[in-house]
Amino acid sequence: MNLFKQLTGAVLLVAITITACKKPSDANDENEHEAINKMVLTFSRPGSANLVFIAEDPDGDGGQPPSRVDTIRLVAGQTYSANIQFINIVNGVEKDLTPSIVAQGRSHEVFYVPSGVQLTITKTDRDLSGFPIGVSTSWQSGPVALGSVLIKLMHKTGIKGPNDSPDLGHSDLQLPMPLRLN
Amino acid sequence: MNGSIFLRMILALLLASGVAVAAAQQPPCTLTLSGSVADADEKAPLDKAVLFIKELARSTETDAEGHYHFYDLCPGSYTIMITHADCDTLSLRVKIESNLVKNFMLPHHYNQLAAVQVLAGQQSQDLQVRESLSSRDLAESRGQALGEILKRITGVTVLQTGSTIFKPVIHGLHSQRIILINNGVRMEGQQWGSEHAPEIDPYVADRFVVVKGAGAIRYGSDAIGGAVLVEPRPLPLDQQFHAEVNTGYFSNNRQYVANVQLEQNLKSDPAFSWRTHVTFKRGGNARTPDYWLNNTGLSEFNVAAMAAYRKSGYRAELFLSGFSTTLGIFSGSHIGNLTDLQNAIASEKPLQNIDRFSYRIGRPYQQVQHYLAKLRVFWSGSGGHRWQLVIAHQENDRKEYDRALITDRPELSLSIGTSSADLSRETTHSAVRSGGVGLQMLYQQNVWSGSRFFIPNFRNLTIGSYAFERWQLGAYSIEGALRFDYRSLLVFRNRNGMSSSTARHFFNPSSTLSISRKLSENMQLRSNTSLAWRAPQVNELYVNGLHHGTASFEIGDASFRAERSYKQLLQWEYQQDSSWLIDVTVHGNYIVDFINLVPSLPPTLTLRGAYPTFRFAQVDALLYGTDFRIEHQWSASWKGGLKGTLLWARDLSKKDWLQQMPSHRFETQLSYMFATRRLRNGYVSPSLLHVLRQTRVPGGFVDYLPAPSAYTLLNMTLGTELQLGKRDLGVVLGVYNVLNTRYRDYMNRFRYFNDEVGRNLVVQLKWKL
Repeated sequence: MNLFKQLTGAVLLVAITITACKKPSDANDENEHEAINKMVLTFSRPGSANLVFIAEDPDGDGGQPPSRVDTIRLVAGQTYSANIQFINIVNGVEKDLTPSIVAQGRSHEVFYVPSGVQLTITKTDRDLSGFPIGVSTSWQSGPVALGSVLIKLMHKTGIKGPNDSPDLGHSDLQLPMPLRLN
Repeated sequence: MNGSIFLRMILALLLASGVAVAAAQQPPCTLTLSGSVADADEKAPLDKAVLFIKELARSTETDAEGHYHFYDLCPGSYTIMITHADCDTLSLRVKIESNLVKNFMLPHHYNQLAAVQVLAGQQSQDLQVRESLSSRDLAESRGQALGEILKRITGVTVLQTGSTIFKPVIHGLHSQRIILINNGVRMEGQQWGSEHAPEIDPYVADRFVVVKGAGAIRYGSDAIGGAVLVEPRPLPLDQQFHAEVNTGYFSNNRQYVANVQLEQNLKSDPAFSWRTHVTFKRGGNARTPDYWLNNTGLSEFNVAAMAAYRKSGYRAELFLSGFSTTLGIFSGSHIGNLTDLQNAIASEKPLQNIDRFSYRIGRPYQQVQHYLAKLRVFWSGSGGHRWQLVIAHQENDRKEYDRALITDRPELSLSIGTSSADLSRETTHSAVRSGGVGLQMLYQQNVWSGSRFFIPNFRNLTIGSYAFERWQLGAYSIEGALRFDYRSLLVFRNRNGMSSSTARHFFNPSSTLSISRKLSENMQLRSNTSLAWRAPQVNELYVNGLHHGTASFEIGDASFRAERSYKQLLQWEYQQDSSWLIDVTVHGNYIVDFINLVPSLPPTLTLRGAYPTFRFAQVDALLYGTDFRIEHQWSASWKGGLKGTLLWARDLSKKDWLQQMPSHRFETQLSYMFATRRLRNGYVSPSLLHVLRQTRVPGGFVDYLPAPSAYTLLNMTLGTELQLGKRDLGVVLGVYNVLNTRYRDYMNRFRYFNDEVGRNLVVQLKWKL
């Protein structure tokens, strides 16, 4: 058994040398690093202060459900220019993902699907192929009503066209937000 | 067995039979040469060893006890050649002047050591319920993935993820519940994942054995479903250089594959042999009967090298291999949330599909590398002990690319290193009793990185020991085995910037009892009883994350106990030379604390949308079924066969069925065999595979899509060996899914999204130089 001891000693030595560069004890943070867990919608209109609405899920996928989903409140019969921001928060640190999404505009498109309210939403930005992205938009509000808007960020590498359905591709974000026109 | 030697011997026999008739006109000869043939290492008797007297062109076979007889010999000197499937050929001169008893010892092939370790000799093989792939099935499946190759064995089905990822399923169990022994070393990667295919190049092996029952205890405790053994063919011993080239083309995804093997047994030092392998494989998008599946290409590059040195009393062999693959995942399957999944299911054709052929692989895809280094030393000690030591190290790197939101990095990267040492000692006490003991150690480290957490970092140490004993009592062979395992699992986590570590310890015994009884010359009954356990794997304990392929959120439970399995197999086998073979196996597996993934409420809400939530839960399960195989050969030209795999899987806790279990299937095959002067071993063989609809699905869980309908596939194969000058060119032509049938399979995780692949024309060539 002396031989056995020597051999197993040698094996463990080799094993430890080979795997020494790995440090399981130095574990990576488990919060999802590149997912969108905060969304900010900013509306502006000449002669009026900016309106900001937020949805967030600071602990990411799983865990607690989204902790904040604002109701979008706009004035009826007005035209707003709107901007959407997609943000990743890990342990309280915010990182704006919007510039990367715009840079990869040919793979992405934002959709706004209103229901119960009259809204005309026009995408004012274009990707390199000239197709809409939807980060910058123009909103024209109808009469006073209470409803909602479904916001979808679709990922569709290689299949994006000029007039896609909101269901094409896979969802990077899908969030219904209550909406009131006063 | 070395095929060419065997063929040459048969030829020699046929030629010489004419000579023998002429030579028979000699004075009466009455001497007898008899004795036995045994394995030089094991001293175990060898059955079916062929003894051939060159001068007389006479041959005989040893019986089950290893005995042989040659009657009516004339006095004189003869050259006797002894061959056996597992051993080196022995050739020697024997002088006969009176009745002579002569016993022979055959040395094992270098590489057969693996088989020795596994089977512990021929008797053990007789005891186990196991099945290996026939040489014809092997030739037909060259170039395919390991899972696809193994599903030709009855009782084995496959768990698929799209058209590129195949995992073998034995009697309904897969992943960490079966163990894969690759060339004597337990395969260690991220096998817990149902979409993680085994990282093995099937070209390196020419023996694929599925151990269905108790025989797996020697490899580890986890094998509650069984074990798969993958073995290379023995290294050459003829002091020559050989080369072999295998190529294949698959029309469906325009996949080509090439494999080159070089091997040599040194003339200057016949104790030394080596072999190298290189395999390259590339395929593009697969096609269903109606459309292409975007991003389903694959590429693979593998190398392997082995060398062996043998002297009397000891042997050493070194094996190095590298496996590297990139597997495209159907882009239509990668969905964002439950709404996407429902949209995908509602659509007749996949939604996010680019319907054209391409070799290009984009996101989502997997990139996996596996490296193995192994040293095996084998020596005969004093007291008839045979020792074996296997030291191995494996590195497995897996990168999963979901989609590029920001960076080019993989969303999930897992790197696992495994070192192992196995020491075993086997002893033949007497002609009727033998046994062995073994000690195994395994040390493992896993590190993850990326932006998507799935399983944590961990260190795993496993120490196992086993002992077995075998008796031969008249018509009965009995083997009992005991095993003890200790496993410690140390897990490191970092949540919200807080690091923590937890340790779990598992200590469990396993045992098996195998009894085999010879009922008659042609009939054998085997019973394998086993009690085995499996410690929960790290994913079952700690998983907490999103599975994009199924748009589901998986949650583990750190408090799980080990699974305990009580398995009983009964096999009845009838074999009448080559005309009849009937093999019926009945199995039952009662598993206490079976870890099962079950749907749970509420769905997980995220900004991306809602995801159905699945939690791992422990239930009591009972899996039972039967595998059967009937083959009949009517004449030299016609042969037919029927085989079937039936399985029932119950969740006893909920009194319901278990989900994702293979449905019953039957396959029938007819072969017409032919041979001409230029074409040898030719055959044409149509076959029909019928898979029933899985009706035994859990009632409590409403599946997104009900189990797909039953389907029948017509396949056709043609094979022959073409003689080109002095060389043989092996040709296999196959047409799979001849009728281009549109179907989906319950065991394909992508059945929600797309049909299975359509007609596939396959050409395989094998050239020995």
